[in-house]
Amino acid sequence: MSAGAVRDALAAVRAAGHRLRERDPEEILDALGDVLETWRDPDSAVRRALARELPSATGFSEAVVERGLTLALEPWTRDAFRELWRQEAGPGATGFGTTSVLLAGAIPMPTLLALLAPLALRSGVIARAASRDRVTARHVAASLRERDAGLADALALVEFETHDRDALDAFLGTKCVVATGSDETVAAVAHRARGHVVSRGHRLSVAVLGETADLAAAAGSLALDVALWDQLGCLSPVALYSLGGRNRAQQAASALAAALASIEKTLPRGVVPTGAAATIAHERSDAELRSASAGEVGLHAGDHWTVVAERDDRPRSAPLHRFVRVHPVPDMPALAGALAPYSRHLAAIGCAGVELPGDYGASRVCALGEMQAPPLSWRQDGIGVLAPLICT
Amino acid sequence: MSGDIGRAALDAQLLAWMAEPWQDDDSRFESTARAVFSHQFAHCTPYQRFCRGRGVTPDSIENWDEIPAVPVGAFKELTLHSFPSESEHHVFRTSGTSSEARGELHLDTLALYEASLLPSFERFVLAGLPGRARLCVLAPSPAEVPDSSLSHMFGVVLAAHGDEASGFFVKEGELQLPALLAALECAGPVALCGTAFSFVHLLDSLAARDQRLELPTGSRVMETGGFKGRSRELARDDLYGSLEARLGVGAESIVNQYGMTELGSQFYDTTLHEPGAPRRKLGPPWTRVRIIDPQTGASCAPGETGAIVLHDLANTGSVAAIQTADLGRAIEDGFEVIGREPGAEARGCSIALDEMLERR
Repeated sequence: MSAGAVRDALAAVRAAGHRLRERDPEEILDALGDVLETWRDPDSAVRRALARELPSATGFSEAVVERGLTLALEPWTRDAFRELWRQEAGPGATGFGTTSVLLAGAIPMPTLLALLAPLALRSGVIARAASRDRVTARHVAASLRERDAGLADALALVEFETHDRDALDAFLGTKCVVATGSDETVAAVAHRARGHVVSRGHRLSVAVLGETADLAAAAGSLALDVALWDQLGCLSPVALYSLGGRNRAQQAASALAAALASIEKTLPRGVVPTGAAATIAHERSDAELRSASAGEVGLHAGDHWTVVAERDDRPRSAPLHRFVRVHPVPDMPALAGALAPYSRHLAAIGCAGVELPGDYGASRVCALGEMQAPPLSWRQDGIGVLAPLICT
Repeated sequence: MSGDIGRAALDAQLLAWMAEPWQDDDSRFESTARAVFSHQFAHCTPYQRFCRGRGVTPDSIENWDEIPAVPVGAFKELTLHSFPSESEHHVFRTSGTSSEARGELHLDTLALYEASLLPSFERFVLAGLPGRARLCVLAPSPAEVPDSSLSHMFGVVLAAHGDEASGFFVKEGELQLPALLAALECAGPVALCGTAFSFVHLLDSLAARDQRLELPTGSRVMETGGFKGRSRELARDDLYGSLEARLGVGAESIVNQYGMTELGSQFYDTTLHEPGAPRRKLGPPWTRVRIIDPQTGASCAPGETGAIVLHDLANTGSVAAIQTADLGRAIEDGFEVIGREPGAEARGCSIALDEMLERR
């Protein structure tokens, strides 16, 4: 798509957004609520289409797509969406005339929400689909078209080459840009954008295990959080901090390994790109060698998962695709110290058998097994979903 | 029984090989690789345990490609050497910031390192130049950064092949542009060598002066490494295009070096050595490169992308087999480096925007 075509699409959604702002907000919320309900229904046409198309488009297994969608969409009801709107927006709140949304990653729920949120504020939306998921956005558009043509007209999906700076500049020529990515990338977008920028930078999540938590139960729940979306989401735990010392951490690692081996049977891992596989192989060898050198490091590895029982809480690389490091932490102050390097980038902390004294910078603290199902009211990055999109 | 013939005998064999005319010899590589493995298995305890953990010993292998490779990242926190600690003579460190761990290669002698680097450099970078030529290095001198293997390499090359005006043209992190421009005023061909980011600094400096150079016919560029936040990043094709535009050196005369601190040998593009042949990387006869499927460890078919594993027999003092996280593919008798998966900790759920803005 050329820069001119992007500008044409932008002009069309600008006009459609203008028409949206002349409509009753309640009517729009009703329509968006209906779309959400359709997406929640596992037997709906859109859900069947997603289950059919997402695995090949994203590399996730069919079981992961189905279970992940069901779990995550369950709390995203029509009523929950209205409550979100009431809490973060309310009567009279409107978005910018147009909003650009750069879609990221391969997980469908963030895409769904990123597209519906500006529409709820009656802003026209121009969006570019993520390269790993060209399916979800298309189905959001189709769902809107089926329910409300006016809303559908206010959403334009555009595609252009990554190196086409003219098209990028045309795309960023809106009053509001939602940008996700690395801190450097978000900064680069902010530099090029001419309007208000909503930044969603690097995020990762971790798990914390209390000293007396039931290991098998916690490991089973954590394995679900890890297996869903193959650790590729910002809510996927990349590390487990085990309170109570090294022995306990090693036991936790063994339990998690058993749970990941078990869950692989029902939620098989998807496709792993060669580069990620190379990183995983490298990090497995690294753990092997460190274990051979000084002991106190344990490697548990199956064909499609890896657990490393670390000897300390030093941050290490996270290859993802079901690769979890288990770090021992003796007590809460040590946990705070261990999480400090992540604090700016923490999305969520999943807990079992422990009450955290604070959030350590995370915008979500929840039980293990629930990490992949945030409520709509989750104030992602501490700024919420609708609030940062409101034109004040 | 695969016995350890001892370090002195090993080094003597290798030094003799390095002094001979360049000739690939699979059988010699096989026997020497097994001898090096036997020695390192016997004298590097972590490596021995690592190999035993995989059920591999010098007696169990039938071919050199069964020798276990250690991950390159391990050099950041383990001291992997096959000699007594008290014999340590020199340490090379990877570049990095003060806050991040740096890989270290511990050496008890520089003899093999120095003997190994010259034949490759002469063959792939200095091909066609007189015995002594104008070599301009865009890197600090080894006196300024004694723990830089790259600077040490350039120091050895300059001593062997540089003319009186050759030298290092980066001091305390600053490009010495006037001195460099003076050195480049040369009747004969010039070899301009350095890190990729230092070439960006040179290009930016020339652009700021609106200056274009036309280096003498036969001149060449050797660049290595990435940008690592030390300059703006350029895709390799863009870098080469800019080098041609600003220096008058075409891509056919630009050689990329693939090397790492943890290795005693380096790999170079074949562009100068075999003009017109497909660009690929080759190393000296005492090295081998395997492109493997990272999930199975099996060798990839030619042209298929996999992880790069290096076997460098010049590494007698540490471990000869190194597993990287770099991706590559075999091309004819050499290989191509494709790059590396971005750091996972920098991904989260926000991949697409990075993809969108990445430079190609």
